[in-house]
Amino acid sequence: MNIPANEKLVLALPKGRILKEVMPLVHHVGIHPEPAFDDDSSRQLRFSTNIENVDIIRVRSFDVATFVAFGAAHLGVAGNDVLMEFDFPEIYAPLDLDIGHCRISVAEPTELVEGDDPATWSSVRVATKYPAITAKHFAARGVQAECIKLNGAMELAPTLGLCRRIVDLVSSGATLTANNLVEIEVITEVTSRLAVNRAAWKTRPAEINDWIARFRDAVETKSKAA
Amino acid sequence: MDATNDNASKALLPAGMNDTLPPHAAYEASVVEKIMTCFGGHGYERVKPPLLEFEENLLRGPGAAMANQTFRLMDPVSQRMMGLRADITPQVARIATTRLSGAPRPLRLSYAGQILRVKGTQLRADRQFGQVGVELIGADSPVADAEIILMAASALTNLGVSNMSVDLCLPTLVPAVCRDLGLDDAMETHIRAALDGKDAAGITELGTKIGDDNATLFNNLLAATGPVADTITALDALELGRAATEALAPLKAVVSVLQADAPDLVLTADVVENRGWEYHTGVTFTFFTRGVRGELGAGGRYGTSASGGDGDGDSDNEDGIEPATGLTLFMDTLLRAIPAGDTSRRIYLPSGTPRVQGDELRAAGWVTVPALGPASGDTDDDATEAARLGCDHIMVDGKPQPLKLAD
Repeated sequence: MNIPANEKLVLALPKGRILKEVMPLVHHVGIHPEPAFDDDSSRQLRFSTNIENVDIIRVRSFDVATFVAFGAAHLGVAGNDVLMEFDFPEIYAPLDLDIGHCRISVAEPTELVEGDDPATWSSVRVATKYPAITAKHFAARGVQAECIKLNGAMELAPTLGLCRRIVDLVSSGATLTANNLVEIEVITEVTSRLAVNRAAWKTRPAEINDWIARFRDAVETKSKAA
Repeated sequence: MDATNDNASKALLPAGMNDTLPPHAAYEASVVEKIMTCFGGHGYERVKPPLLEFEENLLRGPGAAMANQTFRLMDPVSQRMMGLRADITPQVARIATTRLSGAPRPLRLSYAGQILRVKGTQLRADRQFGQVGVELIGADSPVADAEIILMAASALTNLGVSNMSVDLCLPTLVPAVCRDLGLDDAMETHIRAALDGKDAAGITELGTKIGDDNATLFNNLLAATGPVADTITALDALELGRAATEALAPLKAVVSVLQADAPDLVLTADVVENRGWEYHTGVTFTFFTRGVRGELGAGGRYGTSASGGDGDGDSDNEDGIEPATGLTLFMDTLLRAIPAGDTSRRIYLPSGTPRVQGDELRAAGWVTVPALGPASGDTDDDATEAARLGCDHIMVDGKPQPLKLAD
C-alpha cells in the first residue's frame, strides 16, 4: 500500500476565537486564502490560497494537533493546552505565536475554598476537557484525579453536583465568577504555537524552515508595533 | 446470521495484531530476503536470537530503554521471569559480548525477526512487526557509522524507495552543553523535555533560571535543525564550550565521509533530538521518505553492555563496554514506502497439462496454478476458471498465453 506523497503543504488553523487572532499573522507571512474562507455560509473545509503549494484546512482546535501529528497537515496553529494534553511525540512546536493568551486553572465553588486542606487529599474528582493534563498535575503532588471528561460548560458541573472541582481554560475569569467559582491554582499559561509535523520537517527542511522564519518575522513585527 | 457473527468474532485479534495475507506475506518475506542478501554481501553475518530471554539479561544496557514495552512471562521451568523481545539490537549486542566475545573485531552481524511490544504508538498501532538490521561491533570510527548509513541507503534505493532522506542526530550534544554551562541534572531534564518538543517558548521561559544568554544558546541549537550544510554552518557560528565542541566532532566527521562518498544522499541534521536515543552515545540516524508516515529505519552509536553476571564465564569483555553502531529497518513502514510487489506471471495449467511443462514454467520463474480436475469441457471454461483464480496467463497447446477475458 503506497500512500501518495502529499506534495502540497497543508496548514491547519483552529476554528473560533483563535482564528481571528491568527489571520493577521497568516496574511503577514504572505498566505491569502481563497474568498470562501471568509464566507461564513460556505461549507468548504479545505481552501486553496494565493500560494499554489499551500492549502489551508479549518478544524476544531483539538483536531489541529491530531491532523499535524499524523502528517495530514504539515503545519498548524494550536494552543499549548492542546499540545500538552496529547503530548504527541510527532509534533514540534518551534514558535510561540504570542496570541490566544489564557491559562489552564483549577477552580472550585467559593464555599469549598474555606476549610479545605489540599494536603490531605488522596483523590479528587474533576470535570475537565483536559483529563491528561489534570491527571498529571495532581499526580505530581501525589493525588489521584478521577477525571470526568466534558467538552464544554464545565462551570455547570459543581453547581449541579457532578463534581466539586473543574480544570478549564480561563481568560478573564468572568465565567467562573458568574458561576460562583474561584480560581484556586494556575496549572499553566497558554498561548498559541506554530506546530510542525516531525516527518515533514525532516523531509522538507528548507521549505519548513522558511515558513517558521516567516512566522517568526510576523510575530516580531507585530510585537514591535504593539 | 448466527454463523456469520460467530465467524466474525473468531476473526477478532488482540489490538495491534494482524494477519498478513497473500500476496503481502510472500512479498514481505521476499523484501526481507533482499535486504538480508544486501547486508550479507557487505560482510554482515546472520544471527538468530530467541524470542524469549531472562528479563534481567534482556533489559540490561541497551535493552533498558525497552523495559516498559516488554511483555513478561514466568518461566515455569526455571521459575525466573522472562521477557519477550521488544527490540533485537540488545540481543545481538549480548551475543557479541558473550558467545562471540572471542570473534575478531570489528564484528559485523545481521538479523531479521519479529518483535512484540506492549503498546502501539501513535504512528504505529501494530504491536508486532518485523525488524531487519545490522550491528557493527568493536569499531569506534566515523567510517563505521558511515558504512552502515551508506549500506542502508543503497539497500533502500535498490528496493525502490524514492525521496529518501537521512536525519542525523547527536544525543550527546545537549548533555555536553549542559556540562559546559554547569547545569545540574534536574535542569538538564527540563531542558531536554522542552527541546524534545522543539518548544522554543519553553526554553525561553527557562531563561529566568538558566540565564537568557544560555536559553538563547539552546534555542540557537534548536534553530540549527535543517539541511546538514546549514546545520554545520549554524553550529560553527555558535560559541560552544569544550565538551560541546568535542561532542560535535564525530557528527562533522561522519558528515564529511557521507558527503564525499554519497554526494546525492539527502542529509538533514537535528542536534537537539533525544527521544528514541536513550541508550545512544554518539551519532544516530533516521531514514525518512516523503509522504510516508513514520520512520523506515533508525540506528546509531551505542555501547554494548558489560556482560558480567551471565554466568558463562567465557567472556574477555566482562568489564568492558565495546563501541558499536547499528541500524534497524522497520518492515511495516518500509513496505508502505516501496512499490507494490510484481504479481504478474501467474499461469493456469488446465487439467491434463503434462507435469514436465509445469516444471519448465516454474524453473523459468512462473507461478503455476494447476487444475485439480477436468473443467466441464471447452477452453472457455478453463479461461473463466483461470481468471477466477487470479491468473493472468493460461497454458494453451503447450504455450503460455495471456488471459483474454470475455467481454
